[in-house]
Amino acid sequence: MAVPVTVPAEPVRRVSARHFVRLKLRVMGNNFRGQGWRIAMFVAGVLVGLWFAAGSFLALAAPGFAGEPRYALLTAAFGGGLLVLGWLLLPLVFFGVDETLDPARFALLPLSRRTLVAGLFAAALVSVPVLAVLLAVSGLVVTAAALGGWAAGLVAAVGVVAGLLLCVAASRAVTSAFATMLRSRRVRDLAAVLLAVVAALLGPLQIAVLAAVREADWDRLTGVAEVVGWTPFGAPWTVGLDVAEGRAWAVPVKLLITAVTIGLLLLWWSRSLESAMVGAASAAPAKSRRGPAGGPVAQLFPRVLAWTRRDRFGALVAREARYWWRDARRRANLITVAVVGVFVPVMVNLGGPQFAAEEGPDLTAGNSSPVLLSLSMLFVGVLASVTLANQFGFDGSAYAANVVAGVPGRLELRARMTAFSVYVVPMLGVVSVVIALVLGEPGWIGVAAGALLAAYGAGLAINGFVSVLGAYSLPETSNPFAMNTGAGVAKSFLTLLSMVASAAAAIPMVVAAALLGDAWLWLALPLGAAYGLGAALLGSYLAGDVLDRRMPELLATVTPRR
Amino acid sequence: MTGGHPALALRGLAKQFDGKVAVAGVDLAVPAGSFYGLLGPNGAGKTTTLSMAVGLLRPDHGRAWVLGHDVWADPVGAKRLLGVMPDGVRLFDRLSGAELLAYHGLLRGMDPAVVDQRAAELLDVLALTDAGRTLVVDYSAGMKKKIGLACALLHGPRLLVLDEPFEAVDPVSAALIRDILQRYVVGGGTVVFSSHVMEVVERLCSHVAILAEGTIKRVGTLDEVRGERFLEEVFVEVVGGRTATGEELSWLSR
Repeated sequence: MAVPVTVPAEPVRRVSARHFVRLKLRVMGNNFRGQGWRIAMFVAGVLVGLWFAAGSFLALAAPGFAGEPRYALLTAAFGGGLLVLGWLLLPLVFFGVDETLDPARFALLPLSRRTLVAGLFAAALVSVPVLAVLLAVSGLVVTAAALGGWAAGLVAAVGVVAGLLLCVAASRAVTSAFATMLRSRRVRDLAAVLLAVVAALLGPLQIAVLAAVREADWDRLTGVAEVVGWTPFGAPWTVGLDVAEGRAWAVPVKLLITAVTIGLLLLWWSRSLESAMVGAASAAPAKSRRGPAGGPVAQLFPRVLAWTRRDRFGALVAREARYWWRDARRRANLITVAVVGVFVPVMVNLGGPQFAAEEGPDLTAGNSSPVLLSLSMLFVGVLASVTLANQFGFDGSAYAANVVAGVPGRLELRARMTAFSVYVVPMLGVVSVVIALVLGEPGWIGVAAGALLAAYGAGLAINGFVSVLGAYSLPETSNPFAMNTGAGVAKSFLTLLSMVASAAAAIPMVVAAALLGDAWLWLALPLGAAYGLGAALLGSYLAGDVLDRRMPELLATVTPRR
Repeated sequence: MTGGHPALALRGLAKQFDGKVAVAGVDLAVPAGSFYGLLGPNGAGKTTTLSMAVGLLRPDHGRAWVLGHDVWADPVGAKRLLGVMPDGVRLFDRLSGAELLAYHGLLRGMDPAVVDQRAAELLDVLALTDAGRTLVVDYSAGMKKKIGLACALLHGPRLLVLDEPFEAVDPVSAALIRDILQRYVVGGGTVVFSSHVMEVVERLCSHVAILAEGTIKRVGTLDEVRGERFLEEVFVEVVGGRTATGEELSWLSR
């Protein structure tokens, strides 16, 4: 029994990845304890995942059943490639990462980096999305087996598992690296540019793919698919087909490509993990850069808000405006809105004519219509406003200050909408000008701006309610993409719900664009702006009442449980 | 105006979390002008009680009054007279100290000129002026306590409710905080604070309540509660529990 303190005993048992997996399962299980709605959310998430997985499974297995090797290659290379791309980008833009096991918690334990990465990687594999995707891509195994017998099927199974590992490693490495980057304030502009470039690359890529599909030049498409099959994006998914087509020599090479890629990604991840664990807090303290800029009150108000009154409303707006920039989590959202807001409408309105051009030669380029434009603007406006769906979750327990001060709900919501709009409304203005110019229809600026403002305003109103009634807590880590267990599902549901509701609330703008014809070109902006403003005010009025009645409850839901 | 009312009155406050009783009916009357210490071991329900008293947590049962204003029926009246420093709650920490004070002041509906003057004084006295535009998130634990106290004091409340104001504070800052609080009480204010540091409580408080397992075990003036003994002895006796090790842990020594 008596072991001297001075000589710590060698660890009796080595820590393996199994411990991390069990820890994650235990944490997930404990999170469900006594939380009926969480279990319900989880089950719903599983069902949705299964639904999509089953659909994708059928799509990927279909070429096998139909005995079509050529389609099989196309679905494997492009489907698999899109899958990897999705795992890479979607966590950044929409979903966030499940940080049930926060790396920072392991900082004090004597674990080698290799053990830690292996463990966290294994734990990351235990999740609903991974299982759903595994089910979906097993369709590729079926196809390979149907075309090339059991040997091909077996190789395809190995490939599919390797591909899945690649997906998870890629998403972890990218989010971790991105989080580290966003934390340092100096790199934030670089991060914005990076995301913009990635998004901008997606656009032309999709147009190229659409063009290729339209030409239906199967040989060329097959050629592209073969090339993709040799990149990390397609390699793991196509090995089974190689066996089926008698190119067994390609299998080890492609698996090597995959393995090396996974290795590099894990290496990259372990690098950024280290800085995440040390928790390099927000760079060096920025000490009085411009000297004391007046009294405390003057310091609180950013220059763009010089016009606001120095009262409760003004203080709330000023604090929110500062937070949208200083809080990495909020800034990431803001950047997303900016990027998606510019490129989605460009895609919809430029991609549209290309589809239409095939239908008939009389429909030449530039046949995007005010209706189509309004629809795409609707989406952008709604997307911008949905950022506020969990606006109190961003505050966390700090919201207690407002509860103690007894801020009226209506004032609170109105101020939050105003502060967010300080950033978003100019952005929407830029979007409408850019889109009208890109389409070569400067006269449509009004239509675009009107639809944007109406959708944005309606969205603010809806999200006022969502943020008060459906708030959830965010983990207190430095990773702006981190989510609590189970919150991913909740977040997706709420986002979907509020987007549908907001879009429905702004539909009159599209109807008007369809019915009123040319008169709408002039009426759209004033009417849309008035509609949006009215909706937002009404929303803050009604939701503020709800907020007044449940301030402590809201505080409890946004306070992270320790 | 509020003469005759206790500064803080709690009647039958109770709260359960997931079926577990955190606070099981707390009655308390804090006389105006008193320096009131709420003592209790970890997990006794101090934070839960104070949260319910100031309107941060809705009680299952019971009511709370601040100088005669019902916290849950007349929150505006009660909160106007109240300054709170919660524990384990973040501040809006992505503001600098000065910005945070300005925010709190304006949120309380104060005149901007008065906010500026008082905030500058508070920053000066609490030795936070040197931090300049450093964000509160980058402050040390002690500095965070000090800026939290400044936020609670800024609007000149009649009642201060502080949850663990001396936790993680260095001796110099603690002395400073004690001095500020004593001046505040001498000037007619009332302080209620929770702690489990007996020495601080014995030095400061006029009244003491000992909370354990969600109920008040002892209450009264400091002398009534401790009698002829040290407060720590009374506390350990009331709370119970083990204070010495026996045969186990032999591997610790050697």
